[in-house]
Amino acid sequence: MGILQWLETTAVADAVRTIPWLYPALESAHYIGIACLVGGIMLIDLRLLGVAKKLSIDLMVTLLPWVWAGFVINAITGGIIFIYGATNFGTSSAFLLKMLLIVIAGINAFIFERMARSGRHSWVLAGAAPAPVKAVATFSLILWIGVVTTGRWMAYV
Amino acid sequence: MGFLEWLQNTPLAIFVAETLWAYPLLETLHTLGMAMLLGALGLINLRVLGYKPALSLIGTKDLLPVAWIGFTINAVSGLLLFTSDAVSFFSSNTFRVKITLIALAGINAAILSRRIYAEAGGAVSAGGGDTPNKLLAGSSLVFWVVAVICGRIYAYYPFYSF
Repeated sequence: MGILQWLETTAVADAVRTIPWLYPALESAHYIGIACLVGGIMLIDLRLLGVAKKLSIDLMVTLLPWVWAGFVINAITGGIIFIYGATNFGTSSAFLLKMLLIVIAGINAFIFERMARSGRHSWVLAGAAPAPVKAVATFSLILWIGVVTTGRWMAYV
Repeated sequence: MGFLEWLQNTPLAIFVAETLWAYPLLETLHTLGMAMLLGALGLINLRVLGYKPALSLIGTKDLLPVAWIGFTINAVSGLLLFTSDAVSFFSSNTFRVKITLIALAGINAAILSRRIYAEAGGAVSAGGGDTPNKLLAGSSLVFWVVAVICGRIYAYYPFYSF
């Protein structure tokens, strides 16, 4: 028995199968997680791209804990949903692409954090992101739109 | 034939229901619109509740277009999804609760934005909001979160009785 088949026999998978409210509850939490994660990162990215200039970049960057909280909620709820449907999700090209995009988005976020730290006394406090930071912000928006898109498509392919 | 039956038999509704990519595309747009709407309004409401007092309250007014774009995306994508299965959607109490909550949240946002942005520069913007504003902001967050949950419950239990 492969690992994907084995996951579906675990107590976690069994709970999702047998408790009627659990699946919609996990999905609801996953959507609230999307609002925190994608909503939060989108606000930061849009600010870096010049939207809502009266909001200081310095403060907008401190919204990152919301992004992390959303990420943790979604890793847990997504992980449980994956265990329940491991043989379907584990072989879905939409799911594999989604995971790849999340990894790239993570690396992109790491690059952004480094840029924000080194630019703390220059562009962060001045409130205007230089071109490379804007490029990272644009890439971030595209990646997360891709994550949501592949996530929805998982239900179909 | 009633209006809803007519609606779900229009060429547009049949297109949404039967084209392979139309339904997931609309769902994707609906999810992204939700992130824009809740992200922008969420931050404004939290700011009114006293979160990040250093963040300019009048500055958050520039997030309203983000919320409006998200709302418009979701109104259009939501209507198209609705047409594809109008009878079922309309007769679902989960869906009816969701629409009621969105209506309440909309009224709430209209009142709150009038109060905070009209008075910004005065005592309200400095303090982040008085008690009525905080009640509006807090209930707005609850309405939106429960609306999202109703949307998810609808997919599995359209006729769940609350």
